[in-house]
Amino acid sequence: MFDFEGVPVEAYEGESVAVALYALGVDVFSWSHKLKRPRGPFCMIGKCSNCFMSINGLPNVKSCRIPVKDGLKVERQRGWVAPEAIHLMDKHSEIVELNPDLLIIGGGPAGLEAALTASNYGLNVVLVDEHFKLGGQLLKQTHKFFGNVELFGGMRGFQIAEEYSRKISELRNVQVLTNTVVYGVFRGGVVGAINESKHYIIKPRAVIAATGAQERYLDFQNNDLPGVIGAGGAQTIMNEFGVKPGEKSIVIGSGNVGLIISYQLLQSGVEVKGVVEILSEIGGWFVHAAKIRRYGVPVFTRHALKYVEGNPRVQKAVVAAVDDKLNFVPGSEKEFDVDLVLLAVGLEPDARLHAQAGAVMKYIPELGGLVPIRTRDLETTVVNMYVAGDSSGIEEATTAILEGKIAALSIVSKLCDGSRAENASSTLEKTLRFLWDEYRSSPLLTRARRGKEQATVPREELEDFRKKFPSPISFG
Amino acid sequence: MNTVKFRLTGVIELRELKELGLLPPEERLKKGPVAILECPEQIPCNICVPYCGLKAIKMDKITDIPRVDWDKCTGCGLCVAVCPGLAAFVVDLSRNDYDYVTLPHEFLPVPRLGETVTLLNRRGECVGEGVVVRLWEKNKTRVVTVRVPKGLGLEVRAIWVEKKQ
Amino acid sequence: MGGEKTVIICRCNDVTLDDVLTAIHEGIDDFELLRKYLKIGFGPCQGRSCIMIAARIFAKEKGLSIEDVLRNYRIRPPIIPVSSKYFIHGDNS
Repeated sequence: MFDFEGVPVEAYEGESVAVALYALGVDVFSWSHKLKRPRGPFCMIGKCSNCFMSINGLPNVKSCRIPVKDGLKVERQRGWVAPEAIHLMDKHSEIVELNPDLLIIGGGPAGLEAALTASNYGLNVVLVDEHFKLGGQLLKQTHKFFGNVELFGGMRGFQIAEEYSRKISELRNVQVLTNTVVYGVFRGGVVGAINESKHYIIKPRAVIAATGAQERYLDFQNNDLPGVIGAGGAQTIMNEFGVKPGEKSIVIGSGNVGLIISYQLLQSGVEVKGVVEILSEIGGWFVHAAKIRRYGVPVFTRHALKYVEGNPRVQKAVVAAVDDKLNFVPGSEKEFDVDLVLLAVGLEPDARLHAQAGAVMKYIPELGGLVPIRTRDLETTVVNMYVAGDSSGIEEATTAILEGKIAALSIVSKLCDGSRAENASSTLEKTLRFLWDEYRSSPLLTRARRGKEQATVPREELEDFRKKFPSPISFG
Repeated sequence: MNTVKFRLTGVIELRELKELGLLPPEERLKKGPVAILECPEQIPCNICVPYCGLKAIKMDKITDIPRVDWDKCTGCGLCVAVCPGLAAFVVDLSRNDYDYVTLPHEFLPVPRLGETVTLLNRRGECVGEGVVVRLWEKNKTRVVTVRVPKGLGLEVRAIWVEKKQ
Repeated sequence: MGGEKTVIICRCNDVTLDDVLTAIHEGIDDFELLRKYLKIGFGPCQGRSCIMIAARIFAKEKGLSIEDVLRNYRIRPPIIPVSSKYFIHGDNS
C-alpha cells in the first residue's frame, strides 16, 4: 500500500512505483516544465525524465527506479520542482571508500560476464547497477536466445539474468551495489557513485563501463504524448512486471526489437495493428518477421509515422507512404486508432561516462552513435578504462557477453601474473577469434561488424590518440 | 546480395524453401513425419544441432543454414520445442485422410487435446479448422501437433485458440 | 509542415522543432551555441533523448556531417542529476 496524491493504492512487492501507477491506469506521469504538456513513461529504465515524481517529499525522483514500499507518499510534478531546504540538510549520506581491483559499471550481460570472469581469476570486483535487480535488459527479454548452448542459447533472457544473479551471489570477491548510479569519473582515477543513503568514492585499478544503450527518440508531431513509449519501455512493463501496456498498438520500426515487441504484445493480448518500416525491406531477422506475419500482423514497408493525436493519452496515429527520398507521399495517409505507439527506431550507445572521462570518441552510424575508440581488447584511450556491450556499439546480448569476457580477460592478463595471466591471455585470443571470425562472420551482422571495425584501432594508434588527446584521467 | 523476396514480406514461399534445400523431397514427405526448419538466413545460432537426439541436423559453422538428414529424422519435434526463432516445424503427409503439422505455440489459452482450433498460414490467413492430437511443453514453448485438412500440411504454420467467454 | 510547434526535440526543457529552426534561421551557426541558446540537453536526462535528434536536424539544415556537428560536444560530470546532500558534510554546513 502506498499513497498516491492522497489516495491509498495497492501494488505488488517488487514493482517499481512507475509500473504500479501504470497498472492502475495512470496515463499522465508529469507535466512538462515550460509548455505544461502531459507526459507519460517512455524508457522505464531510468534514462529519460518523463517519470519524475515527488516521492516522500523529495522531488525529481525517477519513479521507474524506486521499488514500491508501504507508506511511500507519491505525487506528480508540474515541471521541475526545487527541493525545499530541508532536503539539502538531510545529511545522512555516508561516504564509503572502495578500492577494488576492477570496477564494473552496468550489470547487464556484458557487466555480469565480466564480473564472473574476473572473479574466477581472483580479482576483487565491485559491480554497480542503477536498477534494483541485476540483468540489465535481459530482465525483460522473454524470448529465447540464439547463439550456442555455451552462450545460454535456448534460454530465455530473464532466465539468463536469474542464472547470472545466482552465480554472482555465491562469489565472495564480487560486491554488488544495486540501485546505485555512477555520476562521474574524476582525476586520480576516482569514480563517484551514489545510492539512497551512501556516497561511494571508488578508486579501482581498472574500470569496465558497460553502460548499455538508450532507445532512440523520434521527432514527429505530438511525439511526447502519453502512450508514445519506447518498445523496450513497454517490454519492461509487460515482461518484467506482467502489466498489460495497452489495448491497441502500432509499432514503429521493423528491426529485431520492433518485431520481437510485436510478438510479445500479441502474447500479452494487445492488438498490433501493424509494424511500420521506412525502408523497402524488413530490418530484423526473417524468423522474427515470420513469427508475427503468421499471426496476421502486417508490415508496412516504405511507410513512416507522420503524427499522433490524443488527449491526454494517444488515441490516433497517422502513417503515410514515403518515396525513395523518404519524403511523405501526399494523400497516402492511413489512420490507426491506437492507445499505444511503440518506438523501435533503433538504440543509441550510452557511452557518456567514457566521453566524460575524456576518452576519444567517434560518431559511427553503423553502431548507432558516439562510441569510444578502443583496441581489440576493448581498452579506450583512458588508460585501463574499458568498454563492453551496447555502449561499445549497438549489437546483441550474445556479443555483449563475449565483449564483457574479453575486457575482463584483458584486465586479468594485465593485473595478474604468472599462470593466471597466461591462461587469461590464451582464453582472450580464443574468445576474440570466435567473436570476430565465427560469430560476426554472419551476413546478418555485417553492419555492426563494419561499425566495430571502424571503432577498433591497433595498440600503436591508440597510443597516438593518447598523446594527441590526453585525458587527465587514468586508472591502474 | 540482392534482396530475396522473403525479406520484403516476412513470408517465405515453398519455392524459396526448395531453392535453399530446406524442403524435404517428395518421397520423404510421403513416408512419414519429418522436420522442416524454415531458417533461411545465416543467423549465428546452432541450438537445434545439439538438441536433436538423432544428430540429424548438421552445421559446420554457427552461421550455417541448418542441414537436416531427412532419412535419419523421425519427426520427433524436439527441434520445434528448442528453436529460439520458432522456425522449426514437423509435417506428416503420409496419411491419405489428413495431414499433420507440429508447430510451436506460446499463447494463452493453452489448447487441450481434442480441441478444435483455427489454422493460420504463413500470412496469418485463416485456412480452416483443425484438431489438436498431441501436445507437450518445454520451457514455456508448447509443441502442438494438429490434424489439418489434406493438402494443407505445407501451409499451416500457426494455430489460434479462441478464448472461452 | 505546420506542426513544428508540437514536435518536441528536448523533452526536459520543452524545446520544439520550431524553436530549433527559428534559431538556425536567425543565424546561430554553431551547434554548441544552439544547445546553450535553447538549453538542449541541459535537463535531467542530460541529452540522452535530444542530442542526436538536434544534431541531425542541425546537420541537415547546415549541410554538415553529424561528426562535424558533434566535434565540440563535451559531456561533463555529473552525468545524471545528483542531490547536493551528497556533497554537504560536517555539522555546521
